[in-house]
Amino acid sequence: MKRYLETGNFAITEGAILAGCRFFAGYPITPATELAEAMSLRLPQEGGIFIQGEDECAAMHLCIGAALGGYKAMTATSGPGYILYADPYGWAIGCEIPLVVVNSGRVGPVSGITGAPGQGEFYLTRYPTQGGNFETIVLAPNSAQETMYMTVKAFYLAERFRTPVTILADQLITDGFEDISVPENEGEMKEMGFEVYPRRVNNGPVFYPPTDEIDIPPVVLGKNTGALCSDWTPTEEGYDIEEVEAHHKHAYRLIYKVRNHRDLVEDLYEKTHMDDDPDLVVVSFGTPSRVVNTAVKKARAEGLNVGALRLRHIWPFPDELFSTPRKYLCVELNWDGQLVREVQRAAPKDAEVHFTGICGDLPSIADLLETFTKILQGKALERQGWKMEAW
Amino acid sequence: MDYLANKYLRFRKTPSTACTGCGLGINHKAVLQAVYELGLEVEDVVWGTSIGCAGRQTFGMWKGDGFAGTHGRVYAIARGLRLALPPEKKIILTVGDGDAFGIGLLHLIHAARSNADLTVVVNDNLGYMSTGGQYGWTTPLGTRTDSSPYGMYEQNLVREGMDVLGVLQHAGATFLARHVSMDGSRATGSIKKAIQNKGLSLVHMIYPCPTNFGSRELGTRDALSIYNWIRERSAPLEKAGEDTLWATGVYHDASNSRPEFSEDILKNVEKIRRAAAV
Ligand code: SF4
Repeated sequence: MKRYLETGNFAITEGAILAGCRFFAGYPITPATELAEAMSLRLPQEGGIFIQGEDECAAMHLCIGAALGGYKAMTATSGPGYILYADPYGWAIGCEIPLVVVNSGRVGPVSGITGAPGQGEFYLTRYPTQGGNFETIVLAPNSAQETMYMTVKAFYLAERFRTPVTILADQLITDGFEDISVPENEGEMKEMGFEVYPRRVNNGPVFYPPTDEIDIPPVVLGKNTGALCSDWTPTEEGYDIEEVEAHHKHAYRLIYKVRNHRDLVEDLYEKTHMDDDPDLVVVSFGTPSRVVNTAVKKARAEGLNVGALRLRHIWPFPDELFSTPRKYLCVELNWDGQLVREVQRAAPKDAEVHFTGICGDLPSIADLLETFTKILQGKALERQGWKMEAW
Repeated sequence: MDYLANKYLRFRKTPSTACTGCGLGINHKAVLQAVYELGLEVEDVVWGTSIGCAGRQTFGMWKGDGFAGTHGRVYAIARGLRLALPPEKKIILTVGDGDAFGIGLLHLIHAARSNADLTVVVNDNLGYMSTGGQYGWTTPLGTRTDSSPYGMYEQNLVREGMDVLGVLQHAGATFLARHVSMDGSRATGSIKKAIQNKGLSLVHMIYPCPTNFGSRELGTRDALSIYNWIRERSAPLEKAGEDTLWATGVYHDASNSRPEFSEDILKNVEKIRRAAAV
């Protein structure tokens, strides 16, 4: 095991290489540029390929092409680039192409503030493309070390589910320096929970079965298997077809191959002070969860009955975690409240769901403690200028 | 076509669903003939297409491996694929004019810049015909389509000094040719050269669309009328006159003169890998 004081970008790069990624295409964008740079340095040393695309749309299409040729591929961007992935994303979902996509969130909309973290793409990662009729897998790390683990996991899930998997990080995670341990052999990888799934080849003739099965090898072109893939609704053999019934089968597969095998994704929650049925549960993902955890521990020390729930994967959404009719508070790095809507949907009618969010910076512990107290006392969250807004 | 169809096409996809009288089949046949004359087998080629009439009609017809990309992006996909496939494997893309010269032009220019070993055959029906007949970037000036009811008056990419083939030549493409469907063995000859070039080759093939272009411009769906209309406006390069819209033949042949994209990159990667291992 080697230890480094390095960034999340470094952790993602090393994680990807450990997972067998040998192709990266990206397009410069703050704050994902450093990841592309790290890849351009490291991949060729491992016999892998780095390509700079002519735009983000091309970058993801380059990855798709490489994945179709048998590579494990990855791309990374931030919000303004992620939206340009919308076109290739649909193709990769529909053709069931394994791929890893990193989104390092910054403040939006559009270019917003390039150097400040944001969580405005919670829903965009759920519906990263047009048309609907699919399920997505999104992992949300909150530290550099965990980012490495999740990168390996993302490749593992991408292969097993035959789908692009998104890592939704933010600028604080990708650019922040932290203590990072990199395993140096298989034993150490196992010890750290790193599991690698190999790339396989679908030999056909059934490339798109209308079932919820996983572990079906993906389409690889150039092996003369007669493989077909396109942006149209496919038959089982990959022919294009304009029939609603065929599309029902296709959509069933795209949705339920993920939903019916959620257990593969779902070891990914972090619970703090949740054992004694707290009156208030603070929900978060990504870097805000680190402040939330500290605030909740402090609140406990002050006698407040508060717990924290951190989502390490946000899609498919863990509805079952919100089945208790209690008070929930969502803490987000945005002003409009996105995660809170999903919690409100999943929670029972008599639950109270609150939101506090700022964009571009982490909440302060003092502000969070004040908010916890108010909610526990049944007081409404007042508007405090531009700092905090009742949702 | 039978011997070509038997050898290279999937029965499931033949005959194609193109309209009666459509010239696309003639272009498709010219590509298959070139593949045949070069002695290529099904396993030697990965066939890519895109959207529109050209995409829908040629997707899945090739017996071997094939794909259809989203609007205009097939050149980026194909470059990624090129890096993953063995160098001797051919990638042939039969695309439409909207895909190549409109939405996909940026990606095409970068495929040319990097000299990726791809053979792009642009099947040009003079506009957007699968969506009903709107003007495109090679629609001749003055011609009527559903979105140019007063006659095409936008500047386009086949005008003197603004030829898209010139754009691609300056972008670094190493083989460029233009033909009309009726060129027969001359077109096949150009496509053969295109396939043999280890780099970005593009053959621009004008073809007659009786259903939409013909009916809007000529007021008839009669296939012969649109065939004649195109024939009258084309001539071999050496015989081209002032009225010639489409001078046909090889425009630029710098075959095998520049490093090819994937071989070049893989060579450099290998160098770096070896240095890192020392
Ligand atoms: S619309 Fe025109 S180009 Fe398209 S298939 Fe019909 S005749 Fe051919």
